[in-house]
Amino acid sequence: MTQDIQMKKDTKHTKKKFADEPVFTIKKEYRPKDVRETGLAFVGHEISEDKSVMNQFLHYDQLYTIRHGLNSRFFIGLLDGKIMGTRCPKCGDAWVPVRTHCWNLDCTLSVTEWIEMPLLATVHTWTIAGWSGRSSLKRLPIVLVYAIVKGSKVAIANELHGVKPWDVEFEMPLKIVFKPKEERIGAVTDFHFEPADTWKPSPWNKEKERIKELVDPVYEWVKTLK
Amino acid sequence: MTEKVCIIGGATTPFDYGPTGFESIEGGAAECVKETMQDVPGFSLRDLDLIIYSHFSVHFGHQLAPEWIIHDHLGLVGLPHFRVENGGNTGGSALYAAALAVMSGHHDVVGIAGWETMDSVAQSQGSEFIAMASDIRYELMVGGIYPIYYAAMANKWMKENHVTEEDVARIAVKNKNNAMENPKAQWYRNEHKYITIDDVMNSRLISYPIKKYDCCLMSRGVAFLVVCSEKYAKKVNPDGYVTVDGMGLSSCTIRAGDRLNNPGWTERYGPGYPGMTEFAACRNSAEQAYKMAGITNPLKEIDFGEIHDAFSTSEAQIYKALGLADKQSIAQFLRDERTSMHGDIPMNPGGGLLGYGHPVGATGLMSIIECYYQLAGMIPKKHLNKKTVVPDAACGIVNSHAGTGTSISNFIIRRK
Repeated sequence: MTQDIQMKKDTKHTKKKFADEPVFTIKKEYRPKDVRETGLAFVGHEISEDKSVMNQFLHYDQLYTIRHGLNSRFFIGLLDGKIMGTRCPKCGDAWVPVRTHCWNLDCTLSVTEWIEMPLLATVHTWTIAGWSGRSSLKRLPIVLVYAIVKGSKVAIANELHGVKPWDVEFEMPLKIVFKPKEERIGAVTDFHFEPADTWKPSPWNKEKERIKELVDPVYEWVKTLK
Repeated sequence: MTEKVCIIGGATTPFDYGPTGFESIEGGAAECVKETMQDVPGFSLRDLDLIIYSHFSVHFGHQLAPEWIIHDHLGLVGLPHFRVENGGNTGGSALYAAALAVMSGHHDVVGIAGWETMDSVAQSQGSEFIAMASDIRYELMVGGIYPIYYAAMANKWMKENHVTEEDVARIAVKNKNNAMENPKAQWYRNEHKYITIDDVMNSRLISYPIKKYDCCLMSRGVAFLVVCSEKYAKKVNPDGYVTVDGMGLSSCTIRAGDRLNNPGWTERYGPGYPGMTEFAACRNSAEQAYKMAGITNPLKEIDFGEIHDAFSTSEAQIYKALGLADKQSIAQFLRDERTSMHGDIPMNPGGGLLGYGHPVGATGLMSIIECYYQLAGMIPKKHLNKKTVVPDAACGIVNSHAGTGTSISNFIIRRK
């Protein structure tokens, strides 16, 4: 017994560590009441009239842990109402979404440094979604933009609020707006884009008319969703 | 010295969605093999010395390593097997792997079986499953699904290239109407109607500028084909084999927004390319395939293609990436209907993803098989009539495409 303990101590001594193991002191749970892990469950079946074909209904829910690791400061930043980017100390390229190692092969995967980005951006391209994944249907129509956060070399996707769908345009200046602190969850949905205060929509034109024609039925359809 | 790579035959199940009576993946694979054996009586499963499985998402079947079910069912115990997964380019990547195996001389006869069962969940859930191949931390969370990402890219591309909604609608009309001549095509089997540009323009908004009829179909389907050395091809199908003369595989960023200023592309093609509009991995892999096949003028030297039309807009973007048109000519290229059956380079005579369907792991194989049928003179036998025959087809291109252009392969296939 004593020998076993001694061996474990020695192992601990020589064990190579690559990072300090995190100690989690802040923990929040905001699971909706109807979200629960059920595991595997057959919940029904159907059989064709001639009894040659059968379908079975299988239900499965599972909790996943997304371990953000080296990327964590971006998501923690969201909780604090900040857009954290990264920058290569060698070439100076900066990114949101972040890269923890530089994309330039000449920088040999140099570890990047964290920087707080301004809450300003510009529309690179845009679309107006009239259909989406199951969890987003009730929010349609969604104006989705790929916008370049000031100082970033890349564009990030997020929703544009505070604008009629037909008024969104390329290169329009944006501000980044966060949800109230108590509603944030540390995900990109904690913020959205809004037009910069100085921006004014351009005059009515044929394309706006066409977009309105396509979008109006989406508003009506969403009203019919339970 | 590398071995020449040949294709001697292949088949798909009908592509469909919902109850059909032929849903099981192993049963579907068996039927595809049987059809191949009927077309090529000299081919036997005993001749295979490797089989590669082509399947994208285990989410749909709720079964890890589902290829083991098919492999077992086909009676192939002892035969080496592995699965290739590379998003929408899974089928193309499986051909790439099979071709490498044959070229190396290590394998002689390689089967590829591919499938997807996307009707096992609701359509909107299926869209979300597929979108899990985007970066879930940044894109899926903001309501993003692939039609939305593609729409954002296409919107800017169309403005920059002076291409209109009507221009790309022609592609949707072409492919869905081509599918009406093909009994295995999902559009023929389900919607079953010829459509016009107005029908596309009036279909519901998916994500501007993409409407419902600009989108491919979510499908269930299985496909199988045989890739082999020329020695084997001459033995079992001397008059009906084709050769894979060129191939290329390339990659791009997972998030489309990361293509701005990317040093990897700047090094290859100069600053500003591809932005969020061009498919650089398509251009890059096409260049590799053209070089290998000795093609210097694709528009003149390629007779037709089966390409990855997940959206009518992306087929138009692919034309440009393949070098069939440039910024100055692409709009007119579309308006002149150069890629319709009466054009000089028909694209997707088999219906493509817009018409035949898009069961992801089987899709690229379907494109290869349709290209094979065209080159082997089998279209009148496989389609309902001769309307979708490309006269004197000697050289075809197959394009397989993943993510938002994240992995793309191209193949030049020629009639023997």
